[in-house]
Amino acid sequence: MAKAIKTVSTVVSKVEDLGNDTKRFTLVDQDDWELPPFRPGAHIDVHLGQGLVRTYSLCNDPYDDRRYVIAVKREREGRGGSNFLHDLVEVGQPISVSLPRGGIALDQEGTNVFLAGGIGVTPFISAIRHLERRGRSNYVLHWTSRGRPVLTDMIAPAIEAGRIRLYDTTAQAKPVIAAIVGEFAGSGLAACCGPAAMLKAFEDAVSAWPEERKHIEMFTPPKVIARSDVPPYELYLSASQKLATVTPDVGLLGTLDALGVEVPVSCGGGICGACRTRWTEGPPIHRDRVLSIAERQNELIVCVGDCAGQRLVLDL
Amino acid sequence: MDAIAIEEPEVTMSWQGVVRYLHKTPRAFLPMRSFPSLELVAGRGIEGDRYFVGHETGFYSHKPEEGRQVTLFEMETLEALQRDHKIELLPEEHRRNVTVEGVPLNHLVGRRFRLGEAIVEATRLSTPCRHIEEILGKSVFDPLINRSGLNCKIIAGGTLRVGDAVRPI
Ligand code: FES
Repeated sequence: MAKAIKTVSTVVSKVEDLGNDTKRFTLVDQDDWELPPFRPGAHIDVHLGQGLVRTYSLCNDPYDDRRYVIAVKREREGRGGSNFLHDLVEVGQPISVSLPRGGIALDQEGTNVFLAGGIGVTPFISAIRHLERRGRSNYVLHWTSRGRPVLTDMIAPAIEAGRIRLYDTTAQAKPVIAAIVGEFAGSGLAACCGPAAMLKAFEDAVSAWPEERKHIEMFTPPKVIARSDVPPYELYLSASQKLATVTPDVGLLGTLDALGVEVPVSCGGGICGACRTRWTEGPPIHRDRVLSIAERQNELIVCVGDCAGQRLVLDL
Repeated sequence: MDAIAIEEPEVTMSWQGVVRYLHKTPRAFLPMRSFPSLELVAGRGIEGDRYFVGHETGFYSHKPEEGRQVTLFEMETLEALQRDHKIELLPEEHRRNVTVEGVPLNHLVGRRFRLGEAIVEATRLSTPCRHIEEILGKSVFDPLINRSGLNCKIIAGGTLRVGDAVRPI
């Protein structure tokens, strides 16, 4: 049985140096097929190899369904993702990405107030392109940047129409966030993506707003499918003599994956039986719909299973 | 399960179905595209589909499976999801290749039947995949258990078109 495929295979079709330490990457399917759909302001995990995974907002319009466009600012002091993309990624290179997640629940009628700092503008570019294509202008973007902003080519008509306020902080004062959002206290949506200080000012300004009317761009982790709700326990693999702790956020299957153990997984939901594994110490928690009571005495469906005790031993 | 062994009489099945939609996709997770016809190749699969045997040009292609050269899904299941669960699942969303109407898929495991001008053999029932909920944002995993379609292998190939008949042999 094949190991489950977890990522979308794409190819880099374009790399543009936009200046100001920023590059824009366009990812497509190798046969120019449509890519999995996304919502305005959604993000993807980009798998750069050797466990290096970084999350970036998509900045194209969701309607533009054959490309994923991301913009990456080089963080010289960063943890390596942006430097890898800047230095080593070229046109023609295959790159695996996750399915798109998240997005901004735009207010259809009221005003959408977007506040961006520098490269934090990317989710709003996607949202603005989406709104503009549908003939909507119920938004305003306040965008702060140090020096010349990049990516302006993607929203040029909106800038021309006066719906975007640019603040070059090398020459002018930063906007007062509380004053900007204060105007919209009664209705509409406010969203912010930028450096920590900006997010903090935004959070303070909208602290009394109802949740559904504010959006702080934070990259949400992938939805864990079979989330464990039991306390952490020890996992020992008797055949390969590996030891690990299973925590609720990673789960049993995630831990096996991290240990590099090849368990065949197909449905991932406890009904096909592909991942049945022998256990010798437990007792395990069975959540599958495959095994009989007799089979459960020494087998476990690991894609949905867990341990009721402190230590689970699997014959792997 | 092992208490009673029922002697199954050789039944001649009488039913007649029709092909409503045809879809394929070249790689995992990519949206299915609709086509007026598909090319079925004996022993290999559907030309250009992710499960085509020998489709190794993609860098992370799905490992082809002998018994899953073409997959079928019942139109009636889409209607039942709408009726019983108020879920609208579209023909391009169930991720099987051939949407048929009037074909008792769950009773065909192990049998051969005609799919347009091709002949296929049903190998096993398909199981739903948890990822489908993630991709679609619709809670369809549970309602699709036991009616997630049929996997078949292609015995005799040919062109399959929307509107073609599906018949027992
Ligand atoms: S993968 Fe299907 S039961 Fe675990």
